[in-house]
Amino acid sequence: MYSTRAVGLAPAFRQAALRPRNARNPAIRALFAKRFIQTESLPPSAEIQILNQQRLRRPSSPHFTIYQPQLTWIGSIANRITGAGLSVLLYGYALAYLVAPGTFDSTHVVEFVAGLPEAVKYAGKAILAAPFAYHSLNGLRHLGWDMGKFLTLRGAYASGYAVLAGTAISTVILLFI
Amino acid sequence: MSSTLVARAAFNRNVATALARRSLRPLALQARGAADSAYVPGGPIYRGTVNDPTPFPPPSKTHGSYHWAFERLLSAGLVPLTVAAFATSGTSYPILDGLLGVSLVMHSHIGFDSVVVDYLHPRKFPVLGPIVKWALRATTVGVLVGVYQFNTNDIGLTELIVKAWHA
Repeated sequence: MYSTRAVGLAPAFRQAALRPRNARNPAIRALFAKRFIQTESLPPSAEIQILNQQRLRRPSSPHFTIYQPQLTWIGSIANRITGAGLSVLLYGYALAYLVAPGTFDSTHVVEFVAGLPEAVKYAGKAILAAPFAYHSLNGLRHLGWDMGKFLTLRGAYASGYAVLAGTAISTVILLFI
Repeated sequence: MSSTLVARAAFNRNVATALARRSLRPLALQARGAADSAYVPGGPIYRGTVNDPTPFPPPSKTHGSYHWAFERLLSAGLVPLTVAAFATSGTSYPILDGLLGVSLVMHSHIGFDSVVVDYLHPRKFPVLGPIVKWALRATTVGVLVGVYQFNTNDIGLTELIVKAWHA
């Protein structure tokens, strides 16, 4: 009886139909003792599949987005970003020269740079010098770690600040060299 | 953390007994390969029990300690190489210039390879990982050819940087 479901009387009717007095009456049982829910019959091995499907849909708690910024890991990812950025420039220029040597040869590049305004030239030099200085100095710090130095917390922080100071000084020097 | 481990161990025990009740696990499936575990956030989903060993890559010095030593020696060698190449001029010592170019490209390739291995590991990205790895290798070959062409037919990398810096 579909209408009993909508009105909310289905549980009451079902209870009444299952009472011993009515349970033997096939007409009443056929009408009210059913539920209209489809169930699947699964083998026990389907446990793993269901569990894995649930695992695929589970969210993961924030970890990378909430880690407190620290010199250690910020310095590490900065080393990677500066290295990757400079390498992208190198790769890009080498491939561009390979593809179009007429447009990207040294005379054109030097002409183009000479034609830029002074402020843009200094900004460009700073944008190139700072990552190069940071990556080089942090690379030396990394090689120190590989030799077993600066491996304490104090050592890591002291060398990290030294690298930052050295980067600032080297950028200024390279800018006016 | 331990409660999930206990739950997982109990679950796996049930699975193991259910499987054992049905049939003996074929010997061919004893060693777990790449097809036996799919990687999802939170850890791999293992097919089998917690008693099957985790697969490790085979030990190899070329991919291990020799690779590490080569990488560090190359990075350390870049320092005197750069200083020497910029102290002398590119046109008078073209071999030094070429050596710097090749070393820089190799250093960049090793760096990019670490990025690919860290963020696109084949264990988690079975299709995209190898594709990007080989694309990187092909790009590096192209860059080496480009650097050679530039150093031969043009003024060379150090000269270019010096000229552009003082342009």
